[in-house]
Amino acid sequence: MLLRSILSAALRGRSTRRLFSVVAPRGASMGKERPPDSRSKVFFGFRETYFRAYNGLHDLRYQIYQDGSSIPEEGPDDPFLLVADELSLLANRLRSLVVTEVPKLTSAAEYFFKMGVEGKRMCPTVLLLMASALNVPVRESIADGVSSGLSNELRSRQQAIAEITEMIHVASLLHDDVLDDADTRRGIGSLNFVMGNKLAVLAGDFLFSRACISLASLKNTEVVSLMATAIENLVTGEKMQMTTTSEQRRSMEYYLQKTYYKTASLVSNSCKAIAVLAGQTSEVSMLAYEYGRNLGLAYQLIDDVLDFMGTSAALGKGSLSDIRHGVVTAPILFAIEEFPQLREVVDRGFKNPADVDIALGYLGESCGIERTRELAKEHANRAVLAIEALPESDAEDVQSSRRALINLTHRVLTRTK
Amino acid sequence: MYWRWALSRGLSSAAARFHGHGRFTQRFSHAAPCGGCLGRSPWETRSKVLGCTETYSLGLRGLHDIRYQIHQDSSSRAEEPLDPFSLVADELSLLANRLRSMVVAEVPKLASAAEYFFKMGAEGKRFRPTVLLLMASALNMPISQSAADGVFNTLSNELRTRQQCIAEITEMIHVASLLHDDVLDDADTRRGIGSLNFIMGNKLAVLAGDFLLSRACVALASLKNTEVVSLLATVVEHLVTGETMQMTTTSEQRRSMEYYLQKTYYKTASLISNSCKAIALLAGQTAEVSILAYEYGRNLGLAFQLIDDVLDFTGTSASLGKGSLSDIRHGIVTAPLLFAIEEFPQLSEVVDRGFDNPADVDIALEYLQKSRGIERTRELAAEHANRAVEAIEAFPESDDEDVIISRRALVDLTNRVITRTK
Repeated sequence: MLLRSILSAALRGRSTRRLFSVVAPRGASMGKERPPDSRSKVFFGFRETYFRAYNGLHDLRYQIYQDGSSIPEEGPDDPFLLVADELSLLANRLRSLVVTEVPKLTSAAEYFFKMGVEGKRMCPTVLLLMASALNVPVRESIADGVSSGLSNELRSRQQAIAEITEMIHVASLLHDDVLDDADTRRGIGSLNFVMGNKLAVLAGDFLFSRACISLASLKNTEVVSLMATAIENLVTGEKMQMTTTSEQRRSMEYYLQKTYYKTASLVSNSCKAIAVLAGQTSEVSMLAYEYGRNLGLAYQLIDDVLDFMGTSAALGKGSLSDIRHGVVTAPILFAIEEFPQLREVVDRGFKNPADVDIALGYLGESCGIERTRELAKEHANRAVLAIEALPESDAEDVQSSRRALINLTHRVLTRTK
Repeated sequence: MYWRWALSRGLSSAAARFHGHGRFTQRFSHAAPCGGCLGRSPWETRSKVLGCTETYSLGLRGLHDIRYQIHQDSSSRAEEPLDPFSLVADELSLLANRLRSMVVAEVPKLASAAEYFFKMGAEGKRFRPTVLLLMASALNMPISQSAADGVFNTLSNELRTRQQCIAEITEMIHVASLLHDDVLDDADTRRGIGSLNFIMGNKLAVLAGDFLLSRACVALASLKNTEVVSLLATVVEHLVTGETMQMTTTSEQRRSMEYYLQKTYYKTASLISNSCKAIALLAGQTAEVSILAYEYGRNLGLAFQLIDDVLDFTGTSASLGKGSLSDIRHGIVTAPLLFAIEEFPQLSEVVDRGFDNPADVDIALEYLQKSRGIERTRELAAEHANRAVEAIEAFPESDDEDVIISRRALVDLTNRVITRTK
């Protein structure tokens, strides 16, 4: 319910983001045909912190609807805005979820949940939007009172998936940083750098165990299986990265599989979990999964490109951290297809900076970057198709969150950092 | 039904020792499935037995007579000591093999690393899985009598497999925690062989540990029981908490018996206690019985650790200072010293200095010698062992032989824990 209000407020334009206004009770039609004046004021009895009412804005809303075609990208369908408040809620809850009786362990565990270092939080955003997008009543017969109680509970459970996913994600980052000897993460020192390898490893284990406990409390064994698969995939992906043979390093198939494991599996399986919790059919759950998977892959492919390009359009201006760590990504792999001689350079590893320059040279001449972008676009399109295949709904929240999910796929493609 | 066969082999060899009958080789002692068929005549049960898996239908006709005889002699059965480990040895091999194949990953390098600790030689006596398997047998009681026997056998096989899975998961979690605890530790010898970290480096240790944890997670999910997931996830949390407690103690905490016992629970007893509870839950036992199983595990674990602490000072001899003294040399203050501090407060200064100076170690040993530290630790261990026994004795009664023997074995284990010298 909280979300519906947020969404409606958001539909009134960004400035009203924090304000909750009149929304028709759940179950009532929110379609365009309803004249604005007849909407009644309904207050929902949930968290007081978010409780402020504004009714003059419905005029503005009506205006937007009349201009339906010109909804700006930055406006009502800004995916991050739509869920910003809910994300803060989650962030607070996460911070309380990782408290332990050993102070050092708590500070290690909460290190990346502190304000300002939560990262882009792409994943929780996707999950919360997916939850709204799938907020299609599976059965219409439940009385409204019961139904709103149930839907609140459902929402809490779906939020829990977002929290669980974040904990798993951060746990894997903590371990990855130990494995990569990374010094920095999210603009600050990495945990292993600041508090030592062992504490970083243990903190990761702790987050993992807390995630599993939360997971178990949802009492849904299918969801537990999905997340367990995601966890296993993360480890497999990291293992694949650490222990590749030369031949595997040159293989696009191996790379895509590893990328699925390391990046896309978590978001795809948790999207599916969201759908499962919502009681959706297996077809719809698969669509949610497909969205997550394709979005994740698109994201990583563009990430690979940005590592070479950075914010400029020119090659070699990115951080080049992948190649310097000897990690061979899609652009190089495509370039090898055009210039087999690049294979030798790749096999030498990239410890010699001269080799990095040679590789960049080949890359510049090849269509590596373009082809990677194309592949990313292909995945982004498939993600959009998945959303479009979701069962129809007239509900505004549902429609706007689906638009937001589609919007996300565009952002993933066009981002420059 | 392999586990029954294995258990019965153990039982029959135990029984053979009782009665000196050489011809008890292989049979189903537990011919009565849990459907409460103990009231049936031996003939009926035997033919039922033969109806099971062919591999095991050893039609040893005459055995039912012997079995009947055993029942008649049950009152005079000597309380001879059983070897709890051999009761489940066959099943444990089965488990070890399954664990090994479960651990085979796409990347051989990692598989051999993770497998490292599951090799025969490196496992100590596989204490934990033994406890768990015995607990499974000890709780092998009918909950409902109504299931058709055929169905029931399948169900009980399935249950056993699931309980074995708990034992496997427990081992994976245990080894994963050892691997992660080793990160940057100077634990150069772990279990008598070089630790994985020492041989293969920090990174592979982290990765191998993660690998085991994630496999454990998948295995847990496959049991489709969220309470069990919760229990074992809590174990991981406790292991981490215990280790960080050990890493970050203040001087005051180091001198505290309460802190020490809490840390010991987290690091040692939690794993056994929670997995015993999981075994009970999978068996569909009530909450009360599950807690009894938990209490057994907890008290056994604590007793084990307390004796471990003593042995670190005494070793295989009865005299002090002959043990490896590795705890004190690592600056870890254990129960005997904590008791000694109660008698000799001046010892707390020495303890606070840490034990970097070997002279301090000698001073501490002297105080320890004068004090009743060792004795009191043994007493505390005995107390916990007794509580463990009480928990077993409080289990719901059963006439089933396997159940009785396994419970006896569990009691025997508490004894072994107290009296062991290494």
